[in-house]
Amino acid sequence: MNESVHVAVTGLHAADNPAPGIGIIRSLRHDPDWNGKIIGLAYDVYDTGVYDHNLLDYTFLIPYPNQGSEQVFERIMYIHEQVRIDVLIPTLDSELSIYQKLSPRIREAGIKMYLPSEEMVKARQKANLVAFCEKHDIPTPKTIAINNPGKLDDALDEMGFPLYVKGVFYDAKLCRTKDDALKAFDGFRKQWGLPVLVQESLSGEEFDICAVAHDGELLGALPIRKVRLTDKGKAWAAISLKNKELEMLTSKILNGLKWTGPCELEIMQDSKTKKLYLLEINPRFPAWIYLGTGANQNLPKLVLDLALGKDVSPLPPAKSGVTFVRHATDLVCPLEYIENLIVKGELYYDQIDR
Amino acid sequence: MGVTFTTEVTLSESGFLFDHSTGLTYTLNKTGQFIFKKLREEIEAPAIAEALQEEFDVDGSKARKDLDDFFRQLKDMGIVE
Repeated sequence: MNESVHVAVTGLHAADNPAPGIGIIRSLRHDPDWNGKIIGLAYDVYDTGVYDHNLLDYTFLIPYPNQGSEQVFERIMYIHEQVRIDVLIPTLDSELSIYQKLSPRIREAGIKMYLPSEEMVKARQKANLVAFCEKHDIPTPKTIAINNPGKLDDALDEMGFPLYVKGVFYDAKLCRTKDDALKAFDGFRKQWGLPVLVQESLSGEEFDICAVAHDGELLGALPIRKVRLTDKGKAWAAISLKNKELEMLTSKILNGLKWTGPCELEIMQDSKTKKLYLLEINPRFPAWIYLGTGANQNLPKLVLDLALGKDVSPLPPAKSGVTFVRHATDLVCPLEYIENLIVKGELYYDQIDR
Repeated sequence: MGVTFTTEVTLSESGFLFDHSTGLTYTLNKTGQFIFKKLREEIEAPAIAEALQEEFDVDGSKARKDLDDFFRQLKDMGIVE
């Protein structure tokens, strides 16, 4: 029997824009050798995953990242004192920089994480991706970063329609006219600030790959094709693939970044030329990661082992043709769940009668 | 007509065809399944057309046309070249 490991996971809200935490926890628990406790770190009393007692042993509310790193650190230390955290897995883009910053202090407290460095994350940011791709000879759609609104017209003329207008951190809108583009530009500028990106629109098949690498070495990869999307563009059904070209490109990209940690790559195959283009790299697990347990790619388990400093070997290629379909369900729970979270900010599931 | 399969595909008994590299799925009718299996066995086009005539009781021109049409579709699907 393995020694019991206590893993804290964020990103527990799985509604119309599901966070990855639930898929990560289910993957960890899926491992036949799993022996440990899961500590849910929630931002809100109504984060949906909190109400699934089969997933979590404890839940603690934590401050939002914008409340500052000191607040987050103090809360993590409090939780560590109460229930011990061996490994912490932050799962959201918005958390990454704060945990990178806190990493030395968290490590000193005896908590392990397995994250990409700030430099790696910066290199794959939307505004820097073109430069990275040029340097490493990786095809990517033509992109212009607009730092000055006065330059937008020239960029639109140069790119031609249709094109994508993209926020510097999140969101993208396909624009077919100048009016569409101006509206999207203003929206993204207000929401995320400058630069706003103007990107050529390619037509073809889109693939996603979740991968884990250590210092640029690819250790596991799960390529998928999304077969059903929500109106927010989130995967609601997908199928795993066996695709050597996608895996080779993934390996080249992560090697170029010297990537360490999990990530999700979005890749487009041009319908005419069949050439593969890198669209984006998200520095975290995707919400659909539980699919990997059926495709011999339990990547959260791999990350847990890496965080614990275990020797790991690269996983064999993913099994293709494995499908997931997301299914919304209702969780019924006692009032004490809500009471404990509101009053104490914490919930010990085994202390509540169900 | 020598064909080269450009991708890994699986055809099940029901006629369900899965392309492992793209995740695309197709359904083949009985004629499509028959031709596909012959292509997999690396049988040349004239022999497949003859086999089609025998199996489905059609004349030579109909068999060749069906074979050409099906081959074109497989090419469009990126499965053969």
